[in-house]
Amino acid sequence: MGRITAPFGPQHPVLPEPLHLNITYEDEKVVGLSPAIGYVHRGLEKTAEKKEYPENVFLVERVCGICSFMHAMTYCMGIEELMGIEIPPRAQYLRVFYSEISRLHSHLLWLGLFADAFGFENLFMQYWAAREKILDLMELTGGQRVILSSCAIGGIRRDLNAEQIDTAQGVLMQTEEELKRINPVMLNAYTVKQRTVGKGMLSREDALLYGAVGPMLRASGVAQDLRQTGYAAYRELGFAPVVETDGDSYARALVRVRETCQSIELARKALERLPEGEAAVKVKGNPDGETMQRVEQPRGELLYYIKGNGSKNLERLRIRTPTFANIPSLLKMLPGCEMADVPVIVLSIDPCISCTER
Amino acid sequence: MAKMISTVMSNLTHCPKTRLYPLEERQLPPGTRGQIEFDMTKCIFCSLCAKRCPADAITVDRKGKTLVFNPFRCIICESCLEGCPKDAISLFSHWRAPVTALYEQKYQPEPGQAGD
Amino acid sequence: MVKALMVVLLVVIMAPLLGGLLTGIDRVLTARMQGRVGPPVLQPFYDVLKLLGKEALAANRRQVAWALGYLVLIIASLALFCLGGDLLIIVFTMAFAAGSFVLGGFSVRSPYSHIGSQRELLQMLAYEPVLILLALGVYLQTGSFMVKDLFHQSQPLLASMPLVFIALLIVLTIKIRKSPFDLATSHHGHQELVKGITTEYSGPYLALIEVTHWYELVLLLGLAAMFWTHPLGAGILLALAAFFIEMVIDNICARLTWNWMIKFTWTGGIILCLINLGVIWVLRAGGV
Ligand code: SF4
Ligand code: SF4
Repeated sequence: MGRITAPFGPQHPVLPEPLHLNITYEDEKVVGLSPAIGYVHRGLEKTAEKKEYPENVFLVERVCGICSFMHAMTYCMGIEELMGIEIPPRAQYLRVFYSEISRLHSHLLWLGLFADAFGFENLFMQYWAAREKILDLMELTGGQRVILSSCAIGGIRRDLNAEQIDTAQGVLMQTEEELKRINPVMLNAYTVKQRTVGKGMLSREDALLYGAVGPMLRASGVAQDLRQTGYAAYRELGFAPVVETDGDSYARALVRVRETCQSIELARKALERLPEGEAAVKVKGNPDGETMQRVEQPRGELLYYIKGNGSKNLERLRIRTPTFANIPSLLKMLPGCEMADVPVIVLSIDPCISCTER
Repeated sequence: MAKMISTVMSNLTHCPKTRLYPLEERQLPPGTRGQIEFDMTKCIFCSLCAKRCPADAITVDRKGKTLVFNPFRCIICESCLEGCPKDAISLFSHWRAPVTALYEQKYQPEPGQAGD
Repeated sequence: MVKALMVVLLVVIMAPLLGGLLTGIDRVLTARMQGRVGPPVLQPFYDVLKLLGKEALAANRRQVAWALGYLVLIIASLALFCLGGDLLIIVFTMAFAAGSFVLGGFSVRSPYSHIGSQRELLQMLAYEPVLILLALGVYLQTGSFMVKDLFHQSQPLLASMPLVFIALLIVLTIKIRKSPFDLATSHHGHQELVKGITTEYSGPYLALIEVTHWYELVLLLGLAAMFWTHPLGAGILLALAAFFIEMVIDNICARLTWNWMIKFTWTGGIILCLINLGVIWVLRAGGV
């Protein structure tokens, strides 16, 4: 067989988002590739300068549909720092709760898509069925299934009542049981291991060199998770990052599987220890000065740079999302792999192109 | 593998987890942000809602006493609800049905009501 | 002669109806196994009717010719099968049909279509030996390659060739494009190759391919039914059971790579067949 150049994306069935890789194959082996992004640029950063700062919460939520809560939270944390707002402890714990169920649903989504990437449709459906319960929980507590809009500057907009907390605990417990049934298939099934073990190797050195973040980095043996910095209530809740050392697609799946369990645990702990009191404080004034905020998103480090000038509008908002940081590692992993492994490896970085392009 | 067979068999013998959507609707929890509605007997056309709306879905003509709401711009964020001094806006946990043509809703004070 | 013509006519008309229905049942059952409601049973027919109603766009004329060749050859082999013809000829006609399909994939310039065709070739390489060994086994057992002679057997073929039947199940997995071997079109998931060998077919031509798959499905299940000819009802049940097993396998496996497929069919499938044939041969020799 000769050389064949085939496009992967921007419209590809395995990845609903427009990542474009022009891949050259020789005998079904990848020998060269060139990436291109920029298909869904929406100019959100510029729009943010036109809107008033409280309205931007709803704008940044729409950077990404999957981790929308984390975007809103990071933005709010930045503004709160600029304006010197101390948010009540109850809000801190609720933010942990919402972050963790967002992470949970994002990881379940990814695990399903990953199963889909190696053609295991049934496993895909099982993970998504489990995720559905979490989405229902989000709807019950936040009011909508994906875009929660429950974070606001100064705290959390919708406080949880006792009944909702009970339901949430129940749903989380159920999900844990459900995952005990599904996870072994992802981790132990022979056909799955054939497709993931040893695919897309990224050594510890390379991971650091190419600036990988999030589960990618942790699967390569680097214990780095921004939740260690203890924002929101993570410091009080106690937290240790999940680390695997193999650096292949299987390790990345394993990291995410273990993180789903950890998320359930953290979310439940946050609910158990939820302090009494108000969930939000009133906000007055305008932000001034500049700040940098970092948060651990499901996919890795999310970075916000916010600059205010004492008026209602921000002077600059800059967002860097984890997928962008992981693309160099992807380009490192792909050459030399089989064609059949391309979707698996591309998915193993958990690409979120809408995030990347804002 | 054996685990998966048991999953397959239990799925096969139980009711499916999905439903035929437009025919069978799910009961939405009470707090769901489905759509908003204006109560013209309470509104005083102060335009605070229009000012707070991040999606610019509301335009208020204070002199002409009209409020135009574009439901297809609205992202159901509840900002207007929080901002309204007269509680003239309420939330329903029911999705707006899909449409084939966009429209705007025009609200005018009903004769002899608070708005006058 | 008239009777033969009637049989052929019946095959041409009934087989796609049966095949489409089976495909529909497959889709519903697969959906249920995944916890979904799934489409109506008649969905494959709706799909094909809709495809037929679309604009006829072909990349070039050769493509259409090859697709037609695929259809005609498959119908020919199915007709031969139903007339009780020579098993070897049936197997070779099937190979020609698949070859025609592959050439259709190669006749366009889409890289995905090319890679899909290459994989289809590899698949043929993987299953053809098993099919030929199956024909050989039938010959060893009955002393004839003719399908109709199977009906004179007192004892079902399954009793003497169970391992060959298992090998046939592997072939079925490949031929009806189920995980772990849905390599050439990635039939359900379409993740790697978009639609592989059928990428460049659309509208009525895709409908053509779809109908051909129905014929092929009936033929393959016929091969499975061949293992129990007395009474024929048992054979049909056997074929349906094989079909159900395929669905379950599809739902508990990820898709594997072509290297793995070749390794597996050549070691697993062929060795199973050879052992079985060897045993038959030894028993035969001992008996004489
Ligand atoms: S709910 Fe939000 S988007 Fe909709 S009209 Fe009110 S403020 Fe605007
Ligand atoms: S709906 Fe409420 S906020 Fe809007 S104009 Fe009327 S009174 Fe004012």
